Amino acid sequence: MSSPELVTVTVDGREIQVPKGQGMIETALEAGIEIPVFCYEPRLGAPVGACRMCLCEVEGMPKLQAACTMTAQDGLVLSTAQTSAKAAEGQNAVLEFILLNHPLDCPDCDKGGECPLQDLTFRWGPSATRMRFEKRTFDKPIPVSPLIALDRERCILCYRCTRFSETVAEDGQLVAINRGAGSVIATFEDEPYRAHFSGNVLELCPVGALTSTTYRFRARPWEIQNVPTVCGLCPVGCNTWATTREGKVARILSRNHAEVDEGWLCDKGRFAYGHLKADDRISVPRRRVRRRGFEPVSWEQALDEAERGLKEAGGPVVVAFSGGETVETATAIARLVKEGLGGGSALLPDTFHPALDRFRAPISAIREADVCLVFGDEPVVERAPVLDLWLRAARRAGAEVVTLNPAGSAALRPGSAAWAAAQLVAASPAEELRDAKRSLEEARRIAIVWSEDDPTGGAHALALAESLGDKASVYLIPRTPNGRGVAAAWGDPGTVPEGELGALIVSGDEAAGNPDVRDLAERTGFVITTAMFESEGTLWSHLVIPGTSYLERDGTTVNLEGRAQRQRRAVAPPSEDELAFFAGLARRFGVEVDPWPTMLPDDHAALPEVEEQDVAVAAPKAAAPKRRQGLALVRYRSLFSGPAVERVQQLQFQRPADEVELSYEDASARGIAAGSTVTVSSNGTSRSLRARVNRRLRKGVVRIPSEHAEGLHDRVEVKAG
Amino acid sequence: MAPEALYDEIQTIAARYPQRLSAVMPALRLAQERYGWLPPDAFREVGEALDLTPAYCKAVASFYDMFHLEPVGRHMIEVCTNVSCALVGAQQVLEAFEGELGVHAGETTEDGEFTLRTIECAGGCGWGTVVSVDHRYREPVKPEDVPAIVEELRNGSE
Amino acid sequence: MAPSEKALTKLLFADTEGRDLTRLSEYEEVGGYKSLRKALKMKRAKVLDELLAADVRGRGGAGFPMGRKASFLPKPKESAKPIYLVSNADESEPGTFKDREIMARIPHMFIEGVVIASRVIGAKTAFIYIRGEYLTEFEILRDALEEARNAGLVGPDVLGSGWDLTVVVHRGAGAYICGEETALLESLEGKRGQPRSKPPFPAISGVYASPTLINNVETLATVPKILEIGGAEYAKLGVEHSTGTRVFSLSGNVANGGNYEVELGTSLRELVYDIGGGIPGGRELKAIIPGGSSVPVLTADEVDTALDFDSMAARGTMLGSGAVIVMDDRCCMVQLGLRVAQFYMHESCGKCTPCREGTRWMVSILRKIEDGEASQGELDLLLNVCDRILGNCLCPLGDAAAMPVASYVAKFRDEYQRHIDEGGCPFHGDSTLDHVMAPVDQHHARIRAEIEVPA
Repeated sequence: MSSPELVTVTVDGREIQVPKGQGMIETALEAGIEIPVFCYEPRLGAPVGACRMCLCEVEGMPKLQAACTMTAQDGLVLSTAQTSAKAAEGQNAVLEFILLNHPLDCPDCDKGGECPLQDLTFRWGPSATRMRFEKRTFDKPIPVSPLIALDRERCILCYRCTRFSETVAEDGQLVAINRGAGSVIATFEDEPYRAHFSGNVLELCPVGALTSTTYRFRARPWEIQNVPTVCGLCPVGCNTWATTREGKVARILSRNHAEVDEGWLCDKGRFAYGHLKADDRISVPRRRVRRRGFEPVSWEQALDEAERGLKEAGGPVVVAFSGGETVETATAIARLVKEGLGGGSALLPDTFHPALDRFRAPISAIREADVCLVFGDEPVVERAPVLDLWLRAARRAGAEVVTLNPAGSAALRPGSAAWAAAQLVAASPAEELRDAKRSLEEARRIAIVWSEDDPTGGAHALALAESLGDKASVYLIPRTPNGRGVAAAWGDPGTVPEGELGALIVSGDEAAGNPDVRDLAERTGFVITTAMFESEGTLWSHLVIPGTSYLERDGTTVNLEGRAQRQRRAVAPPSEDELAFFAGLARRFGVEVDPWPTMLPDDHAALPEVEEQDVAVAAPKAAAPKRRQGLALVRYRSLFSGPAVERVQQLQFQRPADEVELSYEDASARGIAAGSTVTVSSNGTSRSLRARVNRRLRKGVVRIPSEHAEGLHDRVEVKAG
Repeated sequence: MAPEALYDEIQTIAARYPQRLSAVMPALRLAQERYGWLPPDAFREVGEALDLTPAYCKAVASFYDMFHLEPVGRHMIEVCTNVSCALVGAQQVLEAFEGELGVHAGETTEDGEFTLRTIECAGGCGWGTVVSVDHRYREPVKPEDVPAIVEELRNGSE
Repeated sequence: MAPSEKALTKLLFADTEGRDLTRLSEYEEVGGYKSLRKALKMKRAKVLDELLAADVRGRGGAGFPMGRKASFLPKPKESAKPIYLVSNADESEPGTFKDREIMARIPHMFIEGVVIASRVIGAKTAFIYIRGEYLTEFEILRDALEEARNAGLVGPDVLGSGWDLTVVVHRGAGAYICGEETALLESLEGKRGQPRSKPPFPAISGVYASPTLINNVETLATVPKILEIGGAEYAKLGVEHSTGTRVFSLSGNVANGGNYEVELGTSLRELVYDIGGGIPGGRELKAIIPGGSSVPVLTADEVDTALDFDSMAARGTMLGSGAVIVMDDRCCMVQLGLRVAQFYMHESCGKCTPCREGTRWMVSILRKIEDGEASQGELDLLLNVCDRILGNCLCPLGDAAAMPVASYVAKFRDEYQRHIDEGGCPFHGDSTLDHVMAPVDQHHARIRAEIEVPA
C-alpha cells in the first residue's frame, strides 16, 4: 500500500501538511483549531453539511463553505471564525437560527452542562434573541421508547439520530417525517423504537432532544464521576464509562475503542446496569441449616464453612463456570481446586481451539474485508451485537457478506455450519456454496465469523482459514463474555466423573440456572454457589456467596478477539467480591493467590500481534444435515435475555416477542397470516405463539427465541389457530 | 385490496429500476390509489414489498404534497394561489369553491366527496387561475365557473 | 409584419401549426428523428462538438452550458459504474410552464433529444423525472415513448445501432425542491428529496453514485434542432453568451399569458407588450419578475432589458427559468414578499438550518409588516435575516427566498415604509394579492407539527 500524498493547507494562518483528501475538520484539529460542528460525525458516513455550523471562509471562494464537506487539497487556505469576521458572522447566524425556536429549557434539561449547543452559543452565538414571535411548540417529552424520550422543541434537526438508525444500525425505525420547518423526528405510528442499538442516539444527540429515561433528572455533569471500564455482558467487551453519582451507577456511556466498538453500545450494555439494584439481590453470605432453611453468616463464617465443607468432601471436585468471571477470579478458583484440593474438573461454557490466536485480528478489521463469511444459526446481533454493526459497515464499504444460515444469503439448513465450512475448503463445493467459493478465491481479505456454540472451539472455521492462507481472520463468538479468559485460567477442563461428587463450586448466576449443573448438584455432597440473585440454584446450595456485577469489581476479561481488557470497579458491591472470597479460601488450603487484579496500563487495550504458532488444525468430519419430516426448529438466545436484563424494567419491551418466524412458503401452505396466532407443537408439548413471516427464511425452518421454545423439540409442526 | 396483488405489482415496478429502492415512490402512489390515501397499513405493505421499514416508507411519503397521510375526499380540488394565479384572482376562485362546497381550504366535505385545498404553482401560470381537479388541470377558472365544475363532479361517475 | 409576429422565432415549435406532433408519424413528416439517425452515424465526440459549438445554456434555471456539462462526465470506458442521463421535468418554479407545453405538444422532440444526449454520454438508461402534478403530460409522454419503442427509436438496439437505451419515466409527488438537481437524484433513488453537498458533482457521482448528466426538458428538446441546423448556425441565433431561442412563460397582469419562443436577446418590453398584449384593464405596469419567483424583481422603468443572461445579470437579477410575471399597480409589494416567502417556507426541505428556520422567520416578519404591526427595526431585521440566509445554505433555495424579498424591499422601500408608518396596508384590501391563502396557512388536519405562524 503506497503512502498517501501529502498536501499543504493553511488553517487560520497555520500551515500544516496532511494526507491529500483528509477531511478539514480533522485537519484543523491537527493544526490545533477546533471548528464547531453539529451534524458532522464521521461514523455516520460521508459528511452532509446540513447544520451549517462549520461555515468557514475559503480563499478563492465567494461564499462561506461548510468545512466538514471539504477535503485537504494543496494550497487550500481556510479561515475559521477565529480569524475571519465573515465566518464568525456566519456561525453567529447559524446559531441564531438554531436558537430561534429552541426552548429555554436549560434549567431542567438533562443535557445542560454537557451540551454542545450551550458551549457553542457561549463561544460563537448571539447573546440575546431578536425573535419576537411565538416559538413553535410540541407536546413533550414524547416516549420514543421506554428508554428514550424525545423533546421535539429542543431538536435542532441535525439528523444524526436518523442517520444512525438508517446507515449504522440499519434498523430504519427512527426517521424524519414531513418537510421543512414542519419536520420532526418520529417512529412509525408512535410504536417504540425497538432495536438493539437504539440508545446510541442518546450520545449522538448534541442537545437535550433525545434523553435517557433512566438518567432523567438524576444528575448534573459536575456532580458525577466517570469510571473507565469495559462492559461484561457479551464477548465483544465494548469500552464504557460508568457514570456514578453518590456511589451508584447512574448511566453507561461509550468509551470508544476504535478497534472494538468504535463508540457504539448495544442497549443491553447501556441500560442493564439497573440489575445492580434488583430486589432479589443477594447481599449477605448464607449457609444451609437443616434441609430447607438458610441462615445468614458473616464473611469469616462463610470462609470457615467453605473450608469445612471442602475438607470433608469425599470425592471429586467440579467447578461450573458461568463465563463472566474475571480472569483473576477464575484463576483463584483454578488454583484453589488444582493446588489446594488436589485437582478437579470443570464445566467450561465455551471451548477454544489453541490455534485461534493464529488467525486473530481486531474486530475493526472486519470493515476492511472483501468477503465476510458468517456461519452459525444464532444471529450475530443477538450474540455479539456490536460485531454485527461492523459486518454492516463492511457491506456498506463494498464487502460481500455471506450469511450461511437458514435466513441468510445462502439459506442453508439448520446445523449446517460445520458442513458448509468444510465444503468451502473442498475444491468442488456443493452447488449452493459455489458462488461463495468463487468470492473467496477473488478476495484479498476475508473475515470468518462463527456465531453458534461450537464444541470444537472453532476447528471448522480454522480449517477454512488455514486453507485460505494469510488472508483470513477468524472471529469465534463464544457464548459468554469472558469464556476465553476463564478457559485460559482453568486450562484443560478434564472430564466430569460419574457417580457421587464430593464438592461442586457453582460460579455465577448463569451456572446456577443451568439444568445440567443442577443435575450435578443432586449428586454432590457439598455445593458452594456464588450468585447475584435469588434463584432455584441457590436453593440447592449449601453455601451461598453474594456475587458481584462486572460494574462492581476490578479484573481482567478477555474478549472474543483475545484482547485482555481491564474492568474497573465503578461502585462498591454489597459484600466482598468473589476474588476476595476464593483468594481467602485458597489461602486456607495453603495456596497464595494474589487477591488483586492484574495491572493493565492501557486505557484502550491493544491486541497483541499474532504469534507464530505451530498448532495444527484438524477439523472433524462434518456431514450435511439430513432432510427430515416436519419443520426444523432453530432456537436462538435473544440478546435481551439473562438475569441482568430480566431485572431492568425499562428493558422489558426489548425482550423477544412470543413469535415464531416462518418462511413465506410454509405460512402460505398452512394458511397462516402474518400476525395471527398459531400453535407450535412437538411430541406432546405445544405452545401458542404469534406468526411472523420472514421472506428470507428457508422453507422448512422456523425460528423461535429460546425462552419461548421451552419444551419443544428440534422438529415441530405449526398450525393456524 | 388483497395485499398480495400489491406485493406482486410492486415487484414489477421495482424491476424497472437499476436499484429497487427507487420504486418506493411509484409503490406509494399505487398503494394510495388502492386505499384512497396512505393509512399505516399502506406503509406496512409497501415496506414488505420492498424490504423497507414502514417508518422509512412514511418518512418518504410525508415529504411530498401529493401523498395523503390522512383520508381525503373522493375528489381532490386544488386551487393554485401562487403569484401568477393570485394576480388574476385565485383567491376569489378559492372562496367560490369554499362557498360552493361549504368547507374551508384544507378541509374535506362531510360526505367525504370533496377535499379542497390550495397548492403552490401548478404550472399553468399564463392560463390562470389554474385548478387541478383530480389531477386534470382546468384553466383558466373564474369564480363564476365554480358552480358548474362542482355540479359536474357531483353528477359524474368515478 | 406585425411586431408580434416578428418577435416570435419558432425553432422548437416551428412545425406545430395545424399538426399533432404528439404522433410519431406526424413528427417524422416534419423531419422528426432525422437528427437521431444522423447522430447515430457520427462519432460521439462530433455530436458533442455540435453542442459545444451551439453554446446552448441550460434552460432550467442555472444556465450552465450544456455541452460543457456533458464533457465533465467520464467516458463509458473510463467508468466503473454505468452512465446515466436524467431529464429534469420537475418544472415547479412559480411562473414557469414551458416544459409542460413542450412535453404536451412536442414530446417526440424531447424524447429525441433524450436519446441523442444519452448516446453522446454513453448512457444505457435515461430517466425522466416529471413532476407528479403533470398527469396529462405524463400520459402523453408515456404514449409517445411507447410509439418510439415500437419503432425501435428507444429500447434494445436503437435503430440497429447495437446500442440499448432504456427510458424510465419517474413521477414526482409534489416537492419544488426536487427540481434542484441533487435533490432530484435523491428522490429518484427513493429517498426524501433533500439536496446533497457538492462536490461531488453529478457528473462524477449522480444517481446511484454513478456519473450522471442532468438536463432540463427544454435543453434536451433543443438538441435535435441543433443537430439539424448545426451548432454554429444555432449559435447565430440570439446574442453572445446567450445563443439560440428560448421558450418564455408569460403570466400575471398581461393580456396574452402563455409560452412564447423568441430569440434570446429579445427585449422584455417586446415580450410583455407586443407579444403579451400589454397590461389589460388600462392599468399601469408596476413590476416584473423576469425569471421565476427566485429572481430579484425589476421595476417598470427597467422593462427595457434584453432577455439574455448577461443583460439580466447587469440589472442585478437573472434570466432564471424564463418565467416572466407581470404585476400592475394593484399589487402590494409587501403582500408579494409575503406570498413568495410563504412559498419557500412551504417548499424548504428542512435539511439546513438557515433556510428551514430563516424562511419561517421571514414569513413571520412579513406578516407583521403587512398587518401594520411591525416596528421600524423589524424592517431592517427582515433585511438582516435575508442577509444571514444568503450564501449560508446547502442549496440555492435559501437564496431563492432571500434575494427576491430583499429586492422587493430595496426597490419598493417606500411601500414597506408606508406599512409601518400607516400601521397597515396602504392598499386597504384592494391589492390583487390581498389575503391570498397560501398552503402554509390553510387549515388542514394533516399530520404536521404545529408550525403555524401566529397571525
